[in-house]
Amino acid sequence: MTSSNGKSDHTADVLIVGAGASGAAVAAWLAEAGFDVVCLEQGHWQNPDKYATLDPDFDFQSMSKWSYDPNKRGLPEDYPINLDDSPVTPVMFNGVGGSTILWTAHAPRFHPSDFRVKTLDGVADDWPLTYEELEPYYDMNDQVMGCAGINGDPGNPPRAPRPMPPLPIGADGLKLARAFESLGWHWWPSDNYINSIPYGEGRDACNFCGHNNLGCVQRAKASTDLTYWPRALRDGAELKSGCRVSEITVDAEGRASGANYFDQNGELQHQQARGVVMACNGIGTPRLLLMSTSDAHPQGLANSSGLVGKNLMFHPVAFIGGFFPEHDPEHDGEWVGPMANILMSQEFYETDPERDFVRGYTYQMARGLGPAWTARGGFADRAPWGEDHHRTVQKRLGRGLGVAVMGEDLPEPHNTVTLDPVMKDSSGLPAAKINYTLSENSRKQLDHAIENGRKLMQAAGAEEIVVNPFIQESGWHLMGTARMGDDPESSVVNRRGQAHDLDNLFVVDGSVFVTGAAVNPTPTIQALALRTAEFIATERTDLKR
Amino acid sequence: MSTDLSLLSAALDRVVPAIGDLPGAGAMGLAEVIVENARQDRRFETALKTVADALPDDFASLDPAAQDDALRNIESAQGEAFGLFLDITYSFYYMRPEVHERLNWHGRAPQPEGNELPPFDDSVLEIARQRAPLWRKV
Ligand SMILES: Cc1cc2nc3c(=O)[nH]c(=O)nc-3n(C[C@H](O)[C@H](O)[C@H](O)COP(=O)(O)OP(=O)(O)OC[C@H]3O[C@@H](n4cnc5c(N)ncnc54)[C@H](O)[C@@H]3O)c2cc1C
Repeated sequence: MTSSNGKSDHTADVLIVGAGASGAAVAAWLAEAGFDVVCLEQGHWQNPDKYATLDPDFDFQSMSKWSYDPNKRGLPEDYPINLDDSPVTPVMFNGVGGSTILWTAHAPRFHPSDFRVKTLDGVADDWPLTYEELEPYYDMNDQVMGCAGINGDPGNPPRAPRPMPPLPIGADGLKLARAFESLGWHWWPSDNYINSIPYGEGRDACNFCGHNNLGCVQRAKASTDLTYWPRALRDGAELKSGCRVSEITVDAEGRASGANYFDQNGELQHQQARGVVMACNGIGTPRLLLMSTSDAHPQGLANSSGLVGKNLMFHPVAFIGGFFPEHDPEHDGEWVGPMANILMSQEFYETDPERDFVRGYTYQMARGLGPAWTARGGFADRAPWGEDHHRTVQKRLGRGLGVAVMGEDLPEPHNTVTLDPVMKDSSGLPAAKINYTLSENSRKQLDHAIENGRKLMQAAGAEEIVVNPFIQESGWHLMGTARMGDDPESSVVNRRGQAHDLDNLFVVDGSVFVTGAAVNPTPTIQALALRTAEFIATERTDLKR
Repeated sequence: MSTDLSLLSAALDRVVPAIGDLPGAGAMGLAEVIVENARQDRRFETALKTVADALPDDFASLDPAAQDDALRNIESAQGEAFGLFLDITYSFYYMRPEVHERLNWHGRAPQPEGNELPPFDDSVLEIARQRAPLWRKV
């Protein structure tokens, strides 16, 4: 399907590959700046009026056709990922809006120290830019996506007011907040790209159904099909969905000239362009760059450093939960609301030389999601089958809360995305293969967080404490596989997201991250994408005809 | 896939047994629902077939303790398939309004009604606000 002004078969000023969080932001900026923008997206538009939460069998759908694991979903627009050598399962969504269709929409920012890891802690590398340089783009993104939150957080630098008040933290949030306070630990309401009041075009306020890990019927959760894309299309961008790019093509000088892609009928087509922006996420982008070999770029496009696909970072995640059987929903208030997106603590965020690891972690509060989710072991292990089944579910339902730990994963070259020699997607293109090992530093972070998490649950008065030391299906954040830097030998793109090897190729997704911080990455991804878009709009007017 | 529904029903009655006025998951008629829905997803279809095929032919006539032993054997030999079998069983069992009613749950899909929460109350931040900045300046 083409959503556009009907143009096609022409040379675009800029071709964007991928219509997710980052691609949409770039499309909106460049279209507004008068660029002729074409976006190729392998997936399709989603209709929020048909999302699973309207169906009684939504829980089953969340494990099958709406699973966020593409290997489980297995739709034609998904590409398989070989996980034989990865303890983490990467998760994503392939369609207009990309993974923001299924994300939970936490919207924290990096700390200033996250950009200076080498200088401060002697590990990994510094970013070639600072928090202060990125701040205006964070602010712009908060306006378009719609940030609900509140100023005054002592854990983060002061910043511009959010456009919406925070989501309510609920009675369970208050319980945990008081537990943090009793230990003298930091907490603050989460920043979320979820409407606490009606905000944006046709977007209602959240009605607290809880399942913000599924598509949002209310359109309260920001996904870029609802935020950036309507603007981009209005300003003349062309979005071709159901079109899978198989290769970025180059001209005789080795500069990007467009892309080959399979259209909705599976026919191979070519889109000509003067500049190309990669926005396929931290796995899709290296995959496509590695598939794009040519005489000029025999190791894959933009890969003279050999770093495309290397330094893959996730955020390792552990979970500490507690059950409070004495909680009386009728008297104390029901524990309902978004499954996460409640409050967070960054007490252990910054490096502390007293600890046996560097960098740190964030706690994010999570709440339960109803009977089926509880029985399936949403917080802990699956409820037992047989005689103990009912007792367990009854004890846990509506009486559980917990914290997910998000640790900072440092870049390591042996954590990689490569092309699988055997597995193929539905177009016959190589699947991605992940090689990943959890570092000792990350394990120590998680263990520290688990110990403190137990203290937290005790302080909250939990009767039963459950721990998941490592959540497998937690590859939400895909980072580092085409890192940014000033030195072409140790990075793939420069501080503007422009490839060192060819000046008309840009990368705007999480691939460019130098380090991953210990927070959800998307506001940072989108801020960087807007910054690159501004650079193209102002400094690369040669691409515009 | 042809699955012996009566055998599966008997297994479901042990997996989620009767409680109070509610029959077990099998007597509730869940076997057919599960088999039908598993057809939408090969992972679940295969898992269900693996578990159903592993049930002894005389499962329905065994006493409850022997039935549980048989299920435990399948669980230890076919852990992943058994886990998916539990997931799909729990998903559809906990979709039933009568089950929600017993649990005092609202008994409907999450949308379009959602839930109600009072708006954010600034006063909860009184203590949190007093904390000195803890982010590292660079
Ligand atoms: C369940 C879940 C929860 C999450 N929660 C949060 C959260 O709370 N906060 C947060 O900050 N982040 C969260 N994330 C992560 C967040 O969604 C991503 O960081 C963000 O969407 C990445 O943006 P992107 O543009 O890099 O890639 P994506 O949004 O993934 O978009 C990439 C797009 O590229 C397309 N594509 C890939 N290859 C090709 C090709 N060859 N041809 C054509 N198109 C292609 C894909 O189909 C996809 O639509 C979550 C993710 C998931 C899955």
